[in-house]
Amino acid sequence: MAVRLATKRAAFGPEGVMDRRGFEDRALPHLRALYGLALRLTGDASAAEDLVQETYLKGLQAFVTLRDPDRVRPWLFQILSRLVIDRRRASGREVPLEPPGDVDRFSLYDRIADEDPLPYSDKLHEDFLARFRDEDVRRALVRIPEAYRVPLVLVYVEGLSYRELADLLGCPIGTVMSRLHRGRKALERELWDCALLRGFIKGEKS
Amino acid sequence: MSATNCEDAQRRFFAYLDRALADEDVEALEAHLEACLECCDRLEFSRRLDSFVRSRLGEASLPPGLEERVHRALAVVAPPSEEP
Repeated sequence: MAVRLATKRAAFGPEGVMDRRGFEDRALPHLRALYGLALRLTGDASAAEDLVQETYLKGLQAFVTLRDPDRVRPWLFQILSRLVIDRRRASGREVPLEPPGDVDRFSLYDRIADEDPLPYSDKLHEDFLARFRDEDVRRALVRIPEAYRVPLVLVYVEGLSYRELADLLGCPIGTVMSRLHRGRKALERELWDCALLRGFIKGEKS
Repeated sequence: MSATNCEDAQRRFFAYLDRALADEDVEALEAHLEACLECCDRLEFSRRLDSFVRSRLGEASLPPGLEERVHRALAVVAPPSEEP
């Protein structure tokens, strides 16, 4: 009870009423991390800025409900991720997912071995990956369907556990597992397509 | 997971790398890896790819003016009041 009172008090300002200053002191140090997540999720700087602003506005309104102010960072990440998911659902622009088999069958490991784009390399797979620019990887990630991208980015950028992802996305852990598997497979295929476009290899776009 | 074959093993690679497999599945997968060099190579590639993607995502630099913009937006919204 004492802990609860202490944490609750922390959310309130000098007049005993939750104030903006208390929220800003705790939430604004995470601005850069939130922007980084928003950028990886949307792939667009302007959309990411709007998303971050909306996250803070929602956060201010809901701050009194946060029981443990030390958990403000994951809580803000959760608000931001939910905004992305809800917006896309509301817009009806959610990209239909491919039948799982088509995604699951793709193997970047096999494609690299079959095409052998660097015949003189004794560490073919490693050298192949080294040819991508940072921008290629970010673009590839933005192109994969959002249902796969959101959990994947949260694992890569924030290291969320499957349990945390299941709570955030409102789905069973098994669904998280299959989305992360397919997300990585979709990313492998996007990287392969990027390699074709950039001329690392010659062949048909998959 | 019993009598793991290559397909079963490879389907569990990502959950294994994310440390999200149950103990019994980890044991079965590692037993398979001890006997299958091909799967070891594939797992190593998956591990390398994960680490490669993480390293390429990097940290985004904060756009100039964003902090000020957020401050301004927060300033015009009244937070909900609640007695402690």
